[in-house]
Amino acid sequence: MQHYIVRRVLLNVVVIFLVISAVFIGLRATPGDFAVNQVASQVTDVHSMDEAVALVRHDLGLDRPILEQYGDFVGDFFRGDLGNSFQTKRPVMAELKDRLAPSVELALLEIVIALVVAVPVGILSAVRQDTWVDYILRFFAIFWLGVPSFFVGVLLLYFLARWVHWSPPTHYQNFFENPWMNLQAMALPAVAGGLAVGAIVMRFLRSQLLEVLHQDYVRTAWAKGLRERAVIMHHALKNALIPVLTVVGLLLATVVSGNVVLETLFNLPGLGLYVVNAIRLDDYPVVQGVVLLVATCLVFVNLLVDVAYAWLDPRIRYG
Amino acid sequence: MLSGQGEAGLEMLAAQEPYAPSELGWLGLIGRFARHKPLGTFGIAVVLVLSLAAGAAPWLSRYDAEDNFQVANPAYEPGSFQPEEKLDARAGPSWKHWFGTDQFGRDNYARVVWGARRSLGVALGAVLFAIIVGTTIGIVSGYYRGWLDILLQRAMDSIQAFPAMFILLLLVALTESNLVTLSVGLGFVALASVQRIIRSAVLTAREEPHIEAARALGCGPVRMMAVHILPNVAAPIIVVFSIGLGSMILAEAALAFLGLAPVEPPSWGMMLDEGRGYMTDQPSTMLAGGSAITLAVLGFNLAGDALRDFLDPRIRLQ
Repeated sequence: MQHYIVRRVLLNVVVIFLVISAVFIGLRATPGDFAVNQVASQVTDVHSMDEAVALVRHDLGLDRPILEQYGDFVGDFFRGDLGNSFQTKRPVMAELKDRLAPSVELALLEIVIALVVAVPVGILSAVRQDTWVDYILRFFAIFWLGVPSFFVGVLLLYFLARWVHWSPPTHYQNFFENPWMNLQAMALPAVAGGLAVGAIVMRFLRSQLLEVLHQDYVRTAWAKGLRERAVIMHHALKNALIPVLTVVGLLLATVVSGNVVLETLFNLPGLGLYVVNAIRLDDYPVVQGVVLLVATCLVFVNLLVDVAYAWLDPRIRYG
Repeated sequence: MLSGQGEAGLEMLAAQEPYAPSELGWLGLIGRFARHKPLGTFGIAVVLVLSLAAGAAPWLSRYDAEDNFQVANPAYEPGSFQPEEKLDARAGPSWKHWFGTDQFGRDNYARVVWGARRSLGVALGAVLFAIIVGTTIGIVSGYYRGWLDILLQRAMDSIQAFPAMFILLLLVALTESNLVTLSVGLGFVALASVQRIIRSAVLTAREEPHIEAARALGCGPVRMMAVHILPNVAAPIIVVFSIGLGSMILAEAALAFLGLAPVEPPSWGMMLDEGRGYMTDQPSTMLAGGSAITLAVLGFNLAGDALRDFLDPRIRLQ
């Protein structure tokens, strides 16, 4: 087990380095120096475009030798210094910490909703395979895969406004300060995002459960005369849920991606909205910082999921 | 349906009809597909309609996408300062404007049809890029194994470590906003997943006896990969192509919704975004954009799913 963990950690360290390097190369290798020119066009107290560009390049450290830049970049990253925002001049890391709570809360709520919907539906669909129940549920799963989460969000807003004359609060409040308002603001985006994730989980759980249900040990359980509930809940489900765990871990990437649009739509002051606004204002250090941070967090989460998976299913460790 | 039943499915299929491919021909194949996979047939129908809309946009769209339509101004009186005509903005569905108009008086139906051309074009470019580069990487990585495989897979892992949206956002921040960069960027994001699928198919294919035979006959590596391995991984490529198109359309719509994509030609995501500003007054723009996206993604997903089941060697008797 330790062997496996050490191997995975080493591999992931390599991946993190590749991630950092990729972002580093990004700004410095794109043709046309677009980002630098965009920022330079906003600099005010200079006499010419060339001066502005030179100023921006100096700010970003682009006029130093490349190895020195790389060393500083990596060093800064591991010390937690992600640069300063061009707009607010504050450290990106500090601003990120403020915006973390809404995003994390939204992601958690989405996964909860996804599981609450997907697990019963998936079990029902698998156990009643090829009946009309199965067909209807599978149709809904496929349907929710196709509908974009932001369309669901807009439709929810529309129908709630038309029929119930209610719209979510425009101001986000922290959960610990004002739980009711917080949940009101979070409910719609969580449902919009959670249903899409739920569809993916439901289909996967269904196929896993179907495979497990055809195994010999489940047949033995039926032959022993156990009730349906005992067979499914006690024997089949545990084995079917393990890969689903991995999928949920991997889905965190999708959830984080999707949240960018949902946060913009519902005006939640999270990481997604932060990044989108930064792009609109050509605030490159913010974009770079958020991307780096999120990618690194995802690598860690995937590492945790891998280790958890190996711990739950001993067959993986020797693969 | 059949795909979930393995052996039983095989027997069912054999019992249902005499399986003589040459006897049935292409038409028989299509008929069988339509009967067994009604959802997939619906998906393919949607795909065909969309391709028609994209290809024949100038003839199907009735109007230009950027025309601002005017309508008689009810407040007009001769001699007053009111103009004779005003913008026919936010109109509902009518015989003149099948999907209504948006806030600039532009016809929504025309914008949806021209939007099909843009969405399909960007998605096609992205998927072709992802498939060409991804298949190459997947086949090389899977065929050679060893240190090359490890190196390539770590690189692909690092690409997959980024959530897709963030790579796209980074790209938008770094490059000029035009459709080609968008296409290539989307394709780049999809690269890692495509090559993973192809690589696992290659890992299975390279154990086949005919590969060993070709090697024994002195087949070189390039010819081996192109002539012997590639045709055997054609099935996953087709499925990836179809489902990938759906995902690319969704991703492009999301970027347009955020306002980070080029404004012309019209984009369904942008219609959805603009439409929601006045959706309590007139939901037609919002509904037109959103429904177009949903239908397109649904169609491609259904078609891809059905193709995957249809091409699964466990069901085929060939």
